[in-house]
Amino acid sequence: MMLRFAAVLVAALVFAAPASACAHPRTSLDYLQGQVMCPTCHTTLDMSDSQAAQQIKGFIAKKVAACWTAQRIESALVANYGQAILAAPSHRGFDLLAWWLPIVGVLAGAIVLAFGVWRWSRRKEPEEPDEPTDSGLDEETERRLDDLLARFD
Amino acid sequence: MTRRLKTTAQLIAFACVAGLLALLVWSVVHQQHAPGVGSVAPSFTLRRLDGSGRVSLASYRGKPVVLNFWASWCEPCKSEAAVLERDWTSYRGRGVVFLGVDYHDLDSDARRFVSAHALTFPMLQDGSGNVTSRYGISQVPETYVLNRQGRVVAHLRGPITDPGFATQFQSAITKAAA
Repeated sequence: MMLRFAAVLVAALVFAAPASACAHPRTSLDYLQGQVMCPTCHTTLDMSDSQAAQQIKGFIAKKVAACWTAQRIESALVANYGQAILAAPSHRGFDLLAWWLPIVGVLAGAIVLAFGVWRWSRRKEPEEPDEPTDSGLDEETERRLDDLLARFD
Repeated sequence: MTRRLKTTAQLIAFACVAGLLALLVWSVVHQQHAPGVGSVAPSFTLRRLDGSGRVSLASYRGKPVVLNFWASWCEPCKSEAAVLERDWTSYRGRGVVFLGVDYHDLDSDARRFVSAHALTFPMLQDGSGNVTSRYGISQVPETYVLNRQGRVVAHLRGPITDPGFATQFQSAITKAAA
């Protein structure tokens, strides 16, 4: 009984050693599959089962087991495949445009919309036309017209 | 004031639409197509898979070149490898150059592939796939045969071990070397 317990303990220590050897929280294949592109199918790894994707998944799994950080794994993949292997652009240099342009676009749209609404709300209501006071006819014609209309009453 | 604002808004909207149109035209014009037979093969410089410097296609001008695109994860590439090596050893004496271009692949796996199949012709790495896309490669393996002027003599979309391609490949090399 003691012998079996000792064997289990030793096995647990042996298999747990690599995990505990990580000096930082271990990243996961699941996480990185959503961050890395399949180079031949142009989808993220989690959406692809192609041979190229399988190869990269295998590479990531190995590096995760070896305690590599997500950043280090991504850097290794970028060195091999180029920047396009990452699903999201980096936060440096020209790539920053990809992050900021949508925000600027939404803000500009909101400003245009707000301005439009403001102008629309300030537009004057069309005024009721006043009672016509002057028909533009001279008195004689007006009198004759009244007489004429009176016949139809 | 309002009129000026309106004109400015219209100009901005027009500039946006014009920019998008220009982008569309640019992407259509720059779309990658496989170079056809008779056209000059796109030039490139790629690093060697073993890391010992870079190789330029232009440096082989004057020699017939067999350009084979492959990857270690590609199953048909495995059966094709032995045939390519055999052809390379038989044609190199006639001045034919064989170049392997490893595409969208991990360096370590690609080197293992080269070693496992005992390939001795120069191997280049195109991890980003930039060169490969200029050749319109959609799947590997694909092989181009270029003549001494760097013009495409044949483009085989599939393994050269395919019955249909085997004779086509041999006659293309003969033609390129003529």
